Amino acid sequence: MTDQSNAVGRTVQVSGAAIAGVVSCLPGRKVDNSHFDGEFGEAAVKDVVKMIGVENRYWTDESTSTRNLCAKAGAHLLRQLDWDPASVDALIFVSQTPDFRLPASACALQAELQISPACIAFDVNLGCSGYPYALWLGMTMVQTGAASRVLLAVGDTISKIVDPKDRSTALLFGDAGTVTAIEASVAQKASFVMGTDGRGAKNLIVPRGGFKDYSLCKDERLIDKDADCLYMDGGEIFNFTLKAVPALVNETILSSGLSLDKHDGFLLHQANMFMLRHLIKKSKLGAEKAPINIDQYGNTSCASIPLLMTTNLRDRLSSESMRLGMFGFGVGYSWAGASLDVGPLKCVETIHS
Amino acid sequence: MSEFYEGMAEIFEVDASKISSEFELHSGEAAWDSLAIVSTIALADDCFGVMLEGKALGECKTIADIENLIAAAKKG
Repeated sequence: MTDQSNAVGRTVQVSGAAIAGVVSCLPGRKVDNSHFDGEFGEAAVKDVVKMIGVENRYWTDESTSTRNLCAKAGAHLLRQLDWDPASVDALIFVSQTPDFRLPASACALQAELQISPACIAFDVNLGCSGYPYALWLGMTMVQTGAASRVLLAVGDTISKIVDPKDRSTALLFGDAGTVTAIEASVAQKASFVMGTDGRGAKNLIVPRGGFKDYSLCKDERLIDKDADCLYMDGGEIFNFTLKAVPALVNETILSSGLSLDKHDGFLLHQANMFMLRHLIKKSKLGAEKAPINIDQYGNTSCASIPLLMTTNLRDRLSSESMRLGMFGFGVGYSWAGASLDVGPLKCVETIHS
Repeated sequence: MSEFYEGMAEIFEVDASKISSEFELHSGEAAWDSLAIVSTIALADDCFGVMLEGKALGECKTIADIENLIAAAKKG
């Protein structure tokens, strides 16, 4: 067997499918940094913000879930594209904040969006790397003939699982639900690079709430932490990102057969402002081609890449075709890159719930 | 003045002339907190192309301790 320990990931080419439209749905409640002054004190909030760069984020209320945000986005997208819901052949829900431990949220979405029962629907449990994975899955289904129209519901409501007393996560995350429509197309091939390193699982984890309790493992970092909330070892995640992302960028660009210059934009998962700036510099992407919106929306997990499309890139994507590089990385550890042509899109919008 | 010392001065928000091997990370002027540590990881990556571990950095007392970590990382 060849040694794969330094491999960046699996490289896959997909043809015959393209993005038809994207809608992001943000929850109604806008939360600015003054919200945290009471818990942490103004000076501590300022220190954290200097690092993470988040000024505003949108949070759901108790009665709104990721699936609710995606349902609104999906209904709007179907209307704007003038797609009959019955013409949707497959629906994939990518999230780490589903409605219930079971059943799959994709099933509820199928009914809510009035998609025909002759529909393939299932959930995928991925976070920050989820969007390129979703594109690969949806486009592959079209390429194989399993489906000709696919909806990718990609979103998270991490605000529901952060410990409001943990300053390393409480300010960082925002909620968003997005839906992307995929259809058969004669577009240029799309290239994907996808990889995994489960040794990092314990560094970004909700220890309890599934069917195994990681807090029983006596990991000393979890002492005094609420095991039902998200735990993040920021230093470990930063080291992982510095190692993984520049290599992922190189490999993805290489797999596309096009140079960095031939790409019109680079959409990086909006992890943390400091980290983003460093990664953009280190990967030589050019700040003008790598939009940042974490200041306005926070880290929205798997929704951050489509949210960049419906905000920063909205005008260009509604009028022209762009060759985009997309890079998701984090929880798992899991990472994925994509290089594909996107646009002009009939629908590329941000709505509020 | 090396690029690394200039970077450390920026991280601690002190005048670059104050940074030397003997500089104390826990002195009154400096805050050796998680932000300073990840900034140092990024700086060492920029200047020397090495990856330092956050945990080892957290145990450093002076700039010389950080320089020792960098030297060890360069040797691989």
